[in-house]
Amino acid sequence: MANSKTVIIKIKRQQTPESKPYSEEFELTYRPGMNITSALMDIAASPVTRQGKVTTPVAYDSNCLEEVCGSCAMLINGQAKMACSALIDNLKQPITLEPFSKFPIIRDLQVDRSVLFENLKKVKGWVPVDGTYDLGPGPRQSAEEQEQAYPLSRCISCCCCMEACPQFNEKTGFVGAAAISQVRLFNTHPTGKALKVDRLQALMGDGGIQECGYAQNCVEVCPKDIPLTRSIADVGGQVMWQAIKDFFRT
Amino acid sequence: MASSASSIDTSPARIQKGVAPLRAGQGYSFLLRRLHSLSGIVPIGAFLVEHFISNSEAVNGVQAYNDQVKFLTSLPFVHVLEWVFIFIPILFHALYGIYIWYRGESNVGEYPWTGNWLYTSQRWTGIIAFIYIVYHTYNMRFTGVHLMGGGYQYAFSKVWFDFQSPWTVAFYVVGIVAASWHFSYGVWLFAAKWGLTVGANARRKFGFVCAGLAVLLVGIGLWTITGFTRTPADQVPWVEHD
Ligand code: SF4
Ligand code: SF4
Ligand code: FES
Repeated sequence: MANSKTVIIKIKRQQTPESKPYSEEFELTYRPGMNITSALMDIAASPVTRQGKVTTPVAYDSNCLEEVCGSCAMLINGQAKMACSALIDNLKQPITLEPFSKFPIIRDLQVDRSVLFENLKKVKGWVPVDGTYDLGPGPRQSAEEQEQAYPLSRCISCCCCMEACPQFNEKTGFVGAAAISQVRLFNTHPTGKALKVDRLQALMGDGGIQECGYAQNCVEVCPKDIPLTRSIADVGGQVMWQAIKDFFRT
Repeated sequence: MASSASSIDTSPARIQKGVAPLRAGQGYSFLLRRLHSLSGIVPIGAFLVEHFISNSEAVNGVQAYNDQVKFLTSLPFVHVLEWVFIFIPILFHALYGIYIWYRGESNVGEYPWTGNWLYTSQRWTGIIAFIYIVYHTYNMRFTGVHLMGGGYQYAFSKVWFDFQSPWTVAFYVVGIVAASWHFSYGVWLFAAKWGLTVGANARRKFGFVCAGLAVLLVGIGLWTITGFTRTPADQVPWVEHD
C-alpha cells in the first residue's frame, strides 16, 4: 500500500461547548467516490492522527447521506457546504474541516442551529390548518404556483445561507435568507396566505429583512439552489407595502 | 413598528448563545434602514446628478459656469435648501452607513464572489466619497471666497486655483469615481431591496443600466475637470488670497 493515494484532512476540534479548540490532522487511504462524511466515518473506524496518536472519533452530524436532511453542514476549506455531498475529488488538499463559526459549538463539528427553528416560529413558517374538525380539502394550486413554490419548499434548514452571510452575526441578529424565503413560500400558499400580515410584520422587527446587504452569498452557497435573492427582493417588496399600509391605515 | 392588534410573537428568545433570533415587532431599525436606502436616492442622489450636470457648465467657459452658480446661489431659501436637502441627509446617510458597516462582517476572503465584492466595495466607496465630500464642502462652501451673495463671479476661479495642484485634481478624480460607483450600485441595491427588480434576469439587466449610469457620471465628472484644467490663466478672474 506504500504507493496508494491518500487524503489529508485537518480538523478543528473542541471537546465541550466551553473548552478550547485544537487541531488534528488525519491521513486516510483514498477510495474513489469518497466524500467528507465517508471520510469522517473512516476516521471513526480508526481514530489515529497522522502523527500516530490515538484520539477520540470526531463528532459530527449526519443522517440522510443524500443532501436532504440538512444536518451535515460545516466549513469545508473555509466555505459552508454539506459534508455528505462534498466529494473529496473536488476539494483542494489538505482539506480543512471546521464547525460553523456563527453557531454555538456542541462538540467538534457539531453546532446548535436551533436559531433557524426559532426564526421560523417567529415568522410563522407554516400553513394554519390545525383545528378540532376536518376542514376538508384546501384550494387547488395552479401548475404555475406549484412551479414557483416547489423550489422554495426544498429548503433543508442546513443554515449554510446564514453562515456565509456577512450580515448574519451577533451584532445584527439578522434572521437570514432561509426564513425570508419560507415567508415567500407560505405567503404564496392559498391557505398559508392567512398569516401573511403577521409574517411581514415580524420581518420588520429588529434583525428583520432590512439587515440584508444583498451580498448574495446565500444564493451561492445554498446546496438546494433555492432562488434566495429573488425571495429577498420579493418579500422585501411585500414588507415595504405592508409598512406603508400600516403607516397610513392604522 | 407593528400595531398592537396584530398577533406576532414577541416572546423572549429561548436561545442563550450565538446569533439572536428575530425580534419580531421590536425596534426601529426597519424604518432607519429604509430611510437610509431612500435618502441615498432622494435627496442625495438627485442632488449628486444635479451637481454633476451643473458643474459640467465648466466646459462652456468661465462665464457659463459662473452664471450657473449665480442661478443656484440665488434660489429662494437657499440656506434652508442646502441644510434640509443636502447637509442633513448626507450626514445621516454617512453616519448611519458607518454604523451599518460596523455591524457587518465582510468575508470576501472566504467567499470571493461578485455580489460579495460589491457589498464590500459599497462600504469602501461610501467612506471614500464621504471623506472627499467633507473636504470638498469645507474647501468650497465654508472657506475662501463665499460664492453666495456676490461671490459667484469667482466660482470658476476658486476651483481653477485649487486645480493648480495635481494632488487636488487626483483627489477629485478619486472622489468622482467613488461617488459615482456608490450611487450607481446604490440604485441597483435600492431596486433589489425594495422589490422592484424581483427576478434574477431583471436584476442582471438593471445591473447593466446601473453600470452605464456609473460610466456616464464618471465621464461627466472627468470632462468637467478638463473644463478647468484646459482654461488658460489669463481667462480666469483674479481672486484676492489672504
Ligand atoms: S443577500 Fe447577502 S446579506 Fe442578504 S441574506 Fe443573502 S448573504 Fe445575507
Ligand atoms: S435556504 Fe438553502 S442554504 Fe439556507 S437553510 Fe435552506 S437549504 Fe440551507
Ligand atoms: S447527511 Fe443529510 S444532508 Fe448531509
